[in-house]
Amino acid sequence: MTHFSWAVDGSIIGLYLLATMVAGVAVRKYVGKVEDFLVAGREMNVYLGIASLAATEFGIVTCMYTAQNGYKYGFAGATPGLLNALAMFLVGYTGFCIKPLRDSGVMTIPELLEQRYGRFIRWLAGVVIVLGGLLNMGVFLRVGGEFLVVTCGMDPRSLEITMTALLLAVAIYTIMGGMLSVLVTDFLQFVVMSLGLIAVTLLVLVEVGWDRLVAAVAEKAGPGGFNPVIHPEMGWDYVIFNLFLTTAAVLTWQTSIARVLAARDTDTGRRIYTRTSFFFVCRFLIPGIWGIAALATLTPQAFAALSPQMQEDPSLYAMPLFLSSAVPVGLMGILIAAMLAADMSTDSSYMLTWGGVIYNDIMAPFRRGWSERKGLVWNRFIVAAIGLFLLFFGLWYKLEGDLWTYLTLTGTIYLASIATLLIACCYWKRANNWGAGASIVISAVIPLGFLIMEKVDGAAAKAIGPYTSGIAAYLLSGAAMVIGSLLKPQKQ
Amino acid sequence: MSGHWFWGLITTAVVIWYATVVVYVAIKGVIDIKTMLARLNQAHQQQAQ
Repeated sequence: MTHFSWAVDGSIIGLYLLATMVAGVAVRKYVGKVEDFLVAGREMNVYLGIASLAATEFGIVTCMYTAQNGYKYGFAGATPGLLNALAMFLVGYTGFCIKPLRDSGVMTIPELLEQRYGRFIRWLAGVVIVLGGLLNMGVFLRVGGEFLVVTCGMDPRSLEITMTALLLAVAIYTIMGGMLSVLVTDFLQFVVMSLGLIAVTLLVLVEVGWDRLVAAVAEKAGPGGFNPVIHPEMGWDYVIFNLFLTTAAVLTWQTSIARVLAARDTDTGRRIYTRTSFFFVCRFLIPGIWGIAALATLTPQAFAALSPQMQEDPSLYAMPLFLSSAVPVGLMGILIAAMLAADMSTDSSYMLTWGGVIYNDIMAPFRRGWSERKGLVWNRFIVAAIGLFLLFFGLWYKLEGDLWTYLTLTGTIYLASIATLLIACCYWKRANNWGAGASIVISAVIPLGFLIMEKVDGAAAKAIGPYTSGIAAYLLSGAAMVIGSLLKPQKQ
Repeated sequence: MSGHWFWGLITTAVVIWYATVVVYVAIKGVIDIKTMLARLNQAHQQQAQ
């Protein structure tokens, strides 16, 4: 039985949604050219950047997969968060890659890559970035809807309508105000989201208790629940894969790098990274604790409340099921508003930043001589088209395995190669288009092949494992860059 | 928290850090938004002239 009250909690949510829409639409008048739309005229300062980056990188989907990690792997499931924070701090502190990237004044990474590898590689990089990004965000909507269905006790048949309405609201302000609307709404969403996350975490720690959480992990996963290296389903390959992945994401994940590129200057971009880095521990540990609380408190009978389809793998739905009965009326409204805030900020930023790559890089050969006005119209059209894609892909794609693994695999389609290309572009003079092309192909083929294998021959995919396949993508993509570049004859 | 001091320490740090940063960023972020919009407005006016 859920504690959601339409009168109390529904009013809190309605008020929040209204405030977001008003703020998002109000800033549209400041958008005069494509640079304003895509990178907010490069006028973003540190604290707005921190709020925006944190809000974007935490959606309902994040909450679901990190809670699933906590439920399945215990505290060890928060390992990617620690690795991500470490990578982001080091990159921000040293300026590794992001300094030359921001100094160059480009709007996207492929634009910088063109300077070293030529136009075709810029175009190809744009294609794989969009492919990986769209496949990645394709599951956001359904997973977000499922969270709301379980937590609020909504009729599952209304999932599509609810999520369509939410996406429509996000699309309206993103299309009108671009990055400016995204930044302003992200700020509101960061505040609302954070209040909800902190309040519910304190409630869990007080009501369930730390000792009970620790005992539940020790009973379910043993010492492996506290140490990923000795966990039977994780091990060194999990840690190494996530180290590669999080480092590559810090360097090239479109939504993160868009904050560096929208920053007022390079130092501001670096400060946004160093000061937001610890948030990535919160991002994994807070929902992870909620997942562990579900593990500690839910009885097998409690899962009968889930739909038959959800009961096939209840690990993803344990956290919302726990919250539906543990969070009292009033706080439930704040929690749902927080989660909607998290989801809206993620969706808007993802639609905008990946749309930016489509316009800036994939369409680069076709848009010479276009006016700013025509550019803005096209950018808005692209954001709308991505919204439609999210809607339809989210409805028919059936997830295999756990959510984090799916997201890491689809992300790897471009993360491995674009990180390699970016590092080589900034620091290796011999890097050239032969190596870049080979790196992009290898990085895309391995994870895509694994995803297809999961659908066609599940046993073979299981034997290889997603982490081994992921590590191979990173290592072979780097090797392809080196070999390809060395094979190309040098000009005399 | 005994026995699993590492995760206990991290959890405590997360709650304290997050609660502090939210308040600080909420205040400073408003100033950043005002400055950003004022600069953009100024730039548009200069372009119009």
